[in-house]
Amino acid sequence: MTRGGIFPDMVDERALEEELGEIGRRLAAAMPVTRNPLKAIDEKAMDLASQDAELKAALFRFVDVVPACRSLEDLARHLTGFLGEVEQPTAPIGVAMKMGNTRAGRAALGAASAAGVRRMAHRFIVGEDPKAALGVLRDLWKDGVASSVDLLGEATVTAAEAQRYADRCANALDTIVAAAARWPERPQLERDSAGPLPRANLSVKVSALTPLLRPDAPERGKRDAADRLRPLLRRANELGAHLHIDMESMDSRDAVLELILDLLSEDEFRSGPSAGMVLQAYLRDSPQTLDTILEWLGRVERAHPLTVRLVKGAYWDHEIVEARQHGWDAPVFEVKADCDLNFEHLTRRLLDARPAVRVAVASHNLRSVSHAIAYNRLSGGQDGDLELQVLRGLGDPLQTALARQDLRVRTYCPVGDLVAGMAYLVRRLLENTSNESFLHEQARGAALDELLARPVASTPA
Amino acid sequence: MAYVCPPGEDKRKPPPSIPPLNAAVDVRRDIVHAQMKPFTNEPILELRRGPIRAQLAGALAEHDKRPALHVPVWIGDDQREGADIVSTDPGRPERVVAEAAAAAKDEVDAALRAARPWTAPAEERAQVLVRAAQWLRERRLEVAALEVRECAKPWPEADADVCEAIDFLEYYARGAVDLAQGAPLLQVPGERNEMTYAPRGVVAVISPWNFPVAIALGMTAAALATGNAAILKPAEQSPGCAFVLTRALREAGVPPSALALLPGEGEVGAALVRDPRVHTIAFTGSNKVGLDIVRAAAEVPPGQKHLKRVIAEMGGKNCVIVDSDADLDEVVPALVKSAFLYAGQKCSAAARVLCHEAIHDALVERLAGAIEVLEVGQADDLEIDVPPVIEEDAQQRVARYAAEAQSGGRIAARARSVPDGSGWFAAPTLAADLPTDSPVLSDEIFGPLLAVERVRDVDDACDRVDASPFALTGGLFARNPDTVDRVIERSPVGNLYVNRAITGAMVARQPFGGNRLSGTGTKAGGPGYLLQFVEPHVVTENTMRHGLVV
Repeated sequence: MTRGGIFPDMVDERALEEELGEIGRRLAAAMPVTRNPLKAIDEKAMDLASQDAELKAALFRFVDVVPACRSLEDLARHLTGFLGEVEQPTAPIGVAMKMGNTRAGRAALGAASAAGVRRMAHRFIVGEDPKAALGVLRDLWKDGVASSVDLLGEATVTAAEAQRYADRCANALDTIVAAAARWPERPQLERDSAGPLPRANLSVKVSALTPLLRPDAPERGKRDAADRLRPLLRRANELGAHLHIDMESMDSRDAVLELILDLLSEDEFRSGPSAGMVLQAYLRDSPQTLDTILEWLGRVERAHPLTVRLVKGAYWDHEIVEARQHGWDAPVFEVKADCDLNFEHLTRRLLDARPAVRVAVASHNLRSVSHAIAYNRLSGGQDGDLELQVLRGLGDPLQTALARQDLRVRTYCPVGDLVAGMAYLVRRLLENTSNESFLHEQARGAALDELLARPVASTPA
Repeated sequence: MAYVCPPGEDKRKPPPSIPPLNAAVDVRRDIVHAQMKPFTNEPILELRRGPIRAQLAGALAEHDKRPALHVPVWIGDDQREGADIVSTDPGRPERVVAEAAAAAKDEVDAALRAARPWTAPAEERAQVLVRAAQWLRERRLEVAALEVRECAKPWPEADADVCEAIDFLEYYARGAVDLAQGAPLLQVPGERNEMTYAPRGVVAVISPWNFPVAIALGMTAAALATGNAAILKPAEQSPGCAFVLTRALREAGVPPSALALLPGEGEVGAALVRDPRVHTIAFTGSNKVGLDIVRAAAEVPPGQKHLKRVIAEMGGKNCVIVDSDADLDEVVPALVKSAFLYAGQKCSAAARVLCHEAIHDALVERLAGAIEVLEVGQADDLEIDVPPVIEEDAQQRVARYAAEAQSGGRIAARARSVPDGSGWFAAPTLAADLPTDSPVLSDEIFGPLLAVERVRDVDDACDRVDASPFALTGGLFARNPDTVDRVIERSPVGNLYVNRAITGAMVARQPFGGNRLSGTGTKAGGPGYLLQFVEPHVVTENTMRHGLVV
């Protein structure tokens, strides 16, 4: 074992840290000199919210309820209701509360806040529907950035809703594939050493494909979701599009994992489509999940490599709260450095598993991203065989920097109306105003060396 | 756990020249507390993990290999078996789960003659209850499997019931040690004031079948923790579960004279309630029986030198208010859970949804779709959503009210997948557009039937809740904090849940119990519950003698 402890001694750790630092500094320099994405969301609100937990709660609850409000008046009453719970109101809150006292004031306050929320939403959501999103997708492509479209929607509680979502997915595939045919050539986004990469890329959620996902009975949800996922795989195959199946919370983890591996093993889907799944590094047992995936890859021959998107995971608070309420051990790392280290560990294992997998490293953490690029290079890989993914609205500067460095970057682009988008939006906001968030660190002006430093495990390995 | 100390009371310290009253006792409590970690809820099984689910089938196979349980009338060291009462699997009524002897009149008398308060110190009683908790922990799946069979409790619910039973034991054990400290009183020079609590005597525990281990054990444990003798008359539908919990207590060390088990039908309970040797009646069950008990307990027959105390947890007609700003993504699953888990056979279950007219139709549409896909089936099958109801009477009652809903209003949805076969299955049903005087909106149905009503606004909903004689649980889905405050202010219910499902109260987190005709307002699993089982004694001693404080 090397100084790092957990990594096999194949790549020289010192050389890796040097290369990584070099890459990180170059990426940082290549980031456009715009406002930090968090600040850009809403100048004052997010800054304030990051500092004041009560105000943060008030603003998020407000953003969350906007689509359910019936009038500007109703909107204003909610806003003042939430702000009224902040114990030490700042001057702007005082102004808002005063406006809430009159009918005209409430109308103005409602209109202003609705506009604010819409503006925030539009930074993260690229269009109301796939057609409306095509302009953004094409502009990204032209700038050397690929995309994966995610259809936002309400929770699926009925069979009709599941079917509606499946239909929207099928239509999205048609729409994007038709439009993408007219995009200019971007060789770096369209091919790696394993073969061609589809231009059209859609991410789907299993929880939206069935109302029957039950944590205690995964089989039932799997069966029902499979009936709607098969036609989508078929359609993606016919159209030559890539279908990516997202991961959600731990409650559905096993069902989703088994569903993907089962369906992709079916004879019909051996020849295609190009498909992918997600590995969540914040889960303590994610190394075992990767074992399962790699064992499967060794057993099942498919025409396309399986794309694995490595993420840290977006349901950390949910997992912690659920575990605490039930008295369970948390399924996620509770110390950020442990999660970051695991992310690097999994990055290496995934890169070492090529060509059976295509690796997509999805993070806004400059260290995690630079680590993937550096390890890939030092272990003899081509830049073109590593994909980097960012989120629309949060990873924009990193996206630009990666594209400028001729690295393959794909941006996750949520599509949907305001109602559907709100849960997504709130989750993104929560994630990125957390004090441990990389973007938050960056925004507070942490030194580059600090941002690129090797994470230190909470307990010795 | 401060049982009786009013806020701020402990700030009034006695003058320094007088030693603190409870010094000696405090040392003892510290010893016991050192052995008892602070209370935490027993974790339910993490059934989302495959290896944990895999254990269930084995436990059930073990259970099925054994012959039917023989439940005795158990008084002191005597056990008399019999087959007067037969409990069967509600999902397959031909399967016999337990055969029980029914206590005869002379056995009720014998149990009362044998009953002796449990005079061991509180710390010792607490240790025994903690041992009983451990007994259950070690047989957790075995006990849950029995509940699956005897009461058609689906696995997650059965497991939660055993956990709650463990929680009651652990919680009341700690509470009893605290209560033995007495209550702090104001002390002035020259007198010593002391308030202590003594057991009331004999507690008749009359328990229901729907939480067949937890509720019976909770009431019994509270009686025993405080030093009373307990005589348990369990529901005739669940004698097997009652036998197991009695074994847990006895094998943990509860003296034979302090705990008797009297299986039987209603007349056993009635005899206990009327007997002058009974001091306290702890009852959970229907409203009708509860009111009978309250009436009977008020009588003071010749020779009875005390007033009986009744602790009653009765029915409900629980309402969930849904305001126009509610998130239906959250509301629909929470309503399905509240109304249909365990086929709606929980006193806390949702029976009425009072929905703001602006989103009424959208809610009905989504809720209907969610109910249609509910799967009804055997309780041992993790893939089902709704098990059978407890017995044929219950099945017929649900059908009667569903017909009533159909004629008075309309059936907006019914689960599609309901097995044929011999089990007492009842389809989860959503009723809508009912007239305000429909019995579907006022009677406790205790089955998988949910009614939704259109209201003008939250105040209209609060008026309807206020018009009900019941006040057990309630729910509110609203996101404006001012609305939430207003509904909290107006709500009469014992347990109000905001923006979540209204079932699943946890010991120490949601002390549980209803107001109005739903109960006596006592809160099981909460501070103060044990006070119902004791009587306070205050002693004031003059410590001034010839001008000296002695």
